[in-house]
Amino acid sequence: MDCEPIIRCQSVAKSYWRGSLEIPVLQGLDLEIPSGGYVALMGPSGSGKTTLLNLIAGIDRPTGGRLEVCGTHLNDLDDDDLAAWRATHVGFIFQNYNLVPVLTAYENVELPLLLANLSRRERRERVLEALERVDLLDRLENRPGQLSGGQEQRVAIARAIVTDPDLLVADEPTGALDAKNAEEVMALLENLNGEWGKTILLVTHDPKAAHHARVQIHLEKGVLDRTVEVNR
Amino acid sequence: MKYLALVLRSLFRSKRRTVLTVLFLAVSVFLVAILQSVLATLEGFANNPNASSRVAVRHKVSITNLLPLRYGDWIRQQPEVEAAMGLQWFGGVYQDPRNFFANFAAEPEAIVTIFKEEIVTYSEAEFRDFLRDRNGCIVGQSLAAKYGWKVGDVVPLKGTIFPMDPRLTVRGIWRSRRQVDEQALYFHHKLLEESVPWMEGRVGAFWVRIKHPDDVPAFIERADRHFSDAVEPTQSETENAFQLNFLKMMGDIATIIHAITMAVLAALLIVTANTMAMAIRERTTEVAVFRAMGFTSWQVLGILLAEGILLALLGGAGGIGLAWLGAGLIKTGLGSAIPWLVDFAIPKETLLLCLHATMGLGFLSTLLPAWRAVRRPIVDGLRAL
Ligand SMILES: Nc1ncnc2c1ncn2[C@@H]1O[C@H](COP(=O)(O)OP(=O)(O)OP(=O)(O)O)[C@@H](O)[C@H]1O
Ligand SMILES: [Mg+2]
Repeated sequence: MDCEPIIRCQSVAKSYWRGSLEIPVLQGLDLEIPSGGYVALMGPSGSGKTTLLNLIAGIDRPTGGRLEVCGTHLNDLDDDDLAAWRATHVGFIFQNYNLVPVLTAYENVELPLLLANLSRRERRERVLEALERVDLLDRLENRPGQLSGGQEQRVAIARAIVTDPDLLVADEPTGALDAKNAEEVMALLENLNGEWGKTILLVTHDPKAAHHARVQIHLEKGVLDRTVEVNR
Repeated sequence: MKYLALVLRSLFRSKRRTVLTVLFLAVSVFLVAILQSVLATLEGFANNPNASSRVAVRHKVSITNLLPLRYGDWIRQQPEVEAAMGLQWFGGVYQDPRNFFANFAAEPEAIVTIFKEEIVTYSEAEFRDFLRDRNGCIVGQSLAAKYGWKVGDVVPLKGTIFPMDPRLTVRGIWRSRRQVDEQALYFHHKLLEESVPWMEGRVGAFWVRIKHPDDVPAFIERADRHFSDAVEPTQSETENAFQLNFLKMMGDIATIIHAITMAVLAALLIVTANTMAMAIRERTTEVAVFRAMGFTSWQVLGILLAEGILLALLGGAGGIGLAWLGAGLIKTGLGSAIPWLVDFAIPKETLLLCLHATMGLGFLSTLLPAWRAVRRPIVDGLRAL
């Protein structure tokens, strides 16, 4: 699917209110990310990285400005349409994996597919394909509690890609992992971007992780500070 | 259907909590089912559909006040009336006060006409013997079987209301369609009159067989008007109403049972609501993750509600199962001691009531916490840890 640029933010603003006190988090942010891009969002704690990622992924709403992602103007969608849009266009990867503890690896990956109109066999094919890409075909029947952190995150990545979304958002996906597992996860993301053409938006504090991206965008107190092309 | 595995697994996330809640639900539903069944059984006993052409005429003040026996003569002369008899609750005890069964002093001539729905099969010869023997009695088959009585046996009764201890000879045994209708003994009212001076010419009530059910209201109206200026005014009711009054006198069981039922259901609601609130609160993040993945609020709400309703249904099914077993025990164990319970069973209405009540319970108790969970902004839910 070609939508260039895949992400377009036009003077996007987001504020929180504590009582009557407005706390601006993002202040009129303009940003374009091309389809197939791999962007690392960096910046000090509290600079608004997570907030921006959530807006782009359509799980939060801006207080100002317009967001166009994968050819859809998110401002125009109501909550249910936005949910349906997320189901087909965005895959989420979280810092603490957020797998459902009572479901097996297989069932966790299958979850997003329940929303699509697929037969059990079609779902099975896709789940196995996704788990193969993260090299966990031998762990289908394991619950999250029986997996290592690195394996859990790979299951989560399989869950994020099983619906074949255009955009993957990952908020500090290596934040809870040791160096070796972090490296594995980053390699996986790089592969998903390079070979499978997924656009990836990665929030990270880790310069090593950010080095895997093609572009680093630095946020500072809710405004774009600088953009750096990564030479690999 | 594809969500069933998810709902089931989530339900048993905390096994101990779920099992305890299900057990509590089961025991409560068991209690409600049994109580409601007792009520239904009593009402079914009082509400004999065969008796729609039967009228009880009793004292206007209460069923313990007596009427002159000669009222029967006027009653029998009325054109609607097929037959009438005086009937007096005797309340005698056989051997031991725990051997409770109904026994009456009756004017026996028309008894098979008036009780034709109950006294279905009998020997005419035996009943003729009964009419001839002032010390004779007739008993239902099930009652006779319980105490091993045969025709010719002597049954000593100890009066509790009346100062007399009759020794009655069993002259006849009848069979009914229902066991509950075979739980009585009748002897001659004349015997009571002879032994108890103040019962002479007096009786507790008249039982009247009306030829045609449509004529019942006219008869009731005319009889009560006729006796309204007498020293002993009457109140006539169809048998069903009379029986219900009898039950009401016994302490308005229905009200008590319904009150207990409501209290149990309220306690259930609180416990289930607490379980579901805990189960949902600890999944705040999970709910947010589901919604991030593209589940709508409604879909998540549906999954949570399904879980709550399933939890309640598990408990409800367990309770109904227990009640079913319990009903069998009551029927066989208590039925012989308490004649009302020989036909004890859990009526379909009670089953449906329990089913609906538990489903409603699951729904109500889950709705509030689930609604709160899905209204919460996704980003808040993801942040919560
Ligand atoms: N729901 C909220 N209510 C009030 N303030 C909020 C809320 N969410 C975020 N904020 C504030 O917005 C600012 C930006 O938060 P955000 O989570 O986007 O930062 P971040 O760059 O992701 O930081 P970190 O690197 O620590 O994750 C912070 O000051 C935070 O306190
Ligand atoms: Mg953050």
